[in-house]
Amino acid sequence: MKPPRHPWLLTAVATVITAAFLLPVYWMAKTSLTRPDRILAPTPQWLPAPLTAENYRTALDYAGLTRALLNSLVISSGVVALTLVLGVPLAYALARVRLRGSGAMVLALLVAQLPPAIVLAAPLFILERRAGLDDSYLGLIAADTTLTLPFAVIVLRPVLRSFPPELEEAALVDGCGLPGVLLRVVLPVMAPSLVATAGLCFLIGWGEFLFGLTLAEGPDVQPVTVLLNAFVGQHGTAWGALMATATLISVPVVCVFALFQRFIVGGLTAGSGRG
Amino acid sequence: MRGRQALALELRRRRGGRTPADPGPVRGPSAHRRRAGYLFCLPGLAFLALFLAYPLFYNVWTSVHDVRLSGLLGGAARFNGLDNYRVVLDDAAFWHSVRLSLLFTLGSLVCQFTLGFALALLFARPFPLNGLLRALLLVAWLLPPIVSGTLFRWLLDAESGAYNALLRAVGLDALDHDWLTDPSTSLAGVILANIWVGVPFNMLLLLVGLHTIDPELHEAAALDGANAWQRLRRITLPLMRPVCVTVLLLGLLYTFKVFDLIFVMTGGGPVDATRVLSLYVYEVFFRFFRFGEGAAAGLLLLVVPLLTGVFYVRRLRREDAVGGST
Repeated sequence: MKPPRHPWLLTAVATVITAAFLLPVYWMAKTSLTRPDRILAPTPQWLPAPLTAENYRTALDYAGLTRALLNSLVISSGVVALTLVLGVPLAYALARVRLRGSGAMVLALLVAQLPPAIVLAAPLFILERRAGLDDSYLGLIAADTTLTLPFAVIVLRPVLRSFPPELEEAALVDGCGLPGVLLRVVLPVMAPSLVATAGLCFLIGWGEFLFGLTLAEGPDVQPVTVLLNAFVGQHGTAWGALMATATLISVPVVCVFALFQRFIVGGLTAGSGRG
Repeated sequence: MRGRQALALELRRRRGGRTPADPGPVRGPSAHRRRAGYLFCLPGLAFLALFLAYPLFYNVWTSVHDVRLSGLLGGAARFNGLDNYRVVLDDAAFWHSVRLSLLFTLGSLVCQFTLGFALALLFARPFPLNGLLRALLLVAWLLPPIVSGTLFRWLLDAESGAYNALLRAVGLDALDHDWLTDPSTSLAGVILANIWVGVPFNMLLLLVGLHTIDPELHEAAALDGANAWQRLRRITLPLMRPVCVTVLLLGLLYTFKVFDLIFVMTGGGPVDATRVLSLYVYEVFFRFFRFGEGAAAGLLLLVVPLLTGVFYVRRLRREDAVGGST
């Protein structure tokens, strides 16, 4: 497309639209920093003056918030680890080794992303309880990984295919086995996309709610998303503290996204498009 | 020139040859490597078989048995054929949630797609800060649905919510309203939140499609005197058709699944005004512990995603066969 005559005019338009669109996010942060007695005023104020950390103190005094944040951190880190350990070899084999049935496997991974979480949460609730996995980090990590693993393989496979195979072929000719090739030749090359995939899986685990709601019973393993939902019920009108909690959950999301922005945008389109 | 190169690559790809972008499998002593390859697949596939495939099949088993809370720990459950399905299909509440799911999906999709398309047209043009602003928009999509749901609950709050304050400020006092607790508007409230979540994603995918349109087409049409509207109608829209169908199919898949957002905003209420199918299944299974019926309802819920998925995969295959971008 030919360059527009007034590119800065377009920038101005896009900035206004983006700002308007992100107004809810601003409102969340603003509310979390406003004094509680000013939040419920009939005419809302645009700026959180005077600034206060009171809502954050209230939220952190609610039972279990720090523990729930920690739980979420443990669960999403576990999801990342399990996804990569299982997913990288799988993606590599599907990308590089001529296997019988690899087409069917890729198709199965696409189909695996179709079922709504509730359809899986129901049987998992029974099965994990019987296996003694309910109410444990492991049970939640495994449940979340059913979401991230197919996604990660579908994102990583085309990345792996795009590398020139000469290096791997040379290593194979030199007598290096397939695991050696993967560890010593492929992993270093794919480190950036690997880190970004890890970031995306972290986000999926961090934001997951339904498995946390159905598979965790007590505060010991409950993720922070479930706790926020409970807060909405218990402290329904304490909007300052609720928005403080919501902001605390959002900060890691924004940080991870800011770090891997470039890749995440590419990965999202690849993951939701084709394998 | 570029076109001819692409054509040559395409022909090579169709003959099963290697292309620079897709070098194909590595060669090497093959039987040994193949065994290692299968071993590579094994842990991941075993995991998915155990935690994804088996539970889904177990769901089928549950759906034809009379399983209640006592059956939870492995007590005997009586086979009851299609009774569970019959109960669900006879339940007026089930059909009510089917209707709500369709309304929710349709309302969300139409608005998400239209707004996303408009934004994609804007962001398809080069201008300073384009990448940064586009990335910022995506934040709305990345926030956990529980967070966006809580946030919109606050924005739509009756007395102090920003949305009503905005309506009052622009003189639309008549619309000032308790959106989420009035059964006639609560569905609109959750759709509004879901549109906000979905617009950036639609924009992103449509933008990828817009970038594949050869700019020379627009230039040629402009030289021939076509104005912007005509170029949109005659060039962009026809060429974007396949991308649009894909984006709408994906949108349908995502929107039909939505649970968290509605759960935290209304819990399916007031009464049952926002109890879409996924929340219906949740209630039958986790609130009333009627596992058999819950499983049956869950499988009925799968119908739409599976049909959409079949359609989607077939489209992907056909596009590949025709030689769409890979």
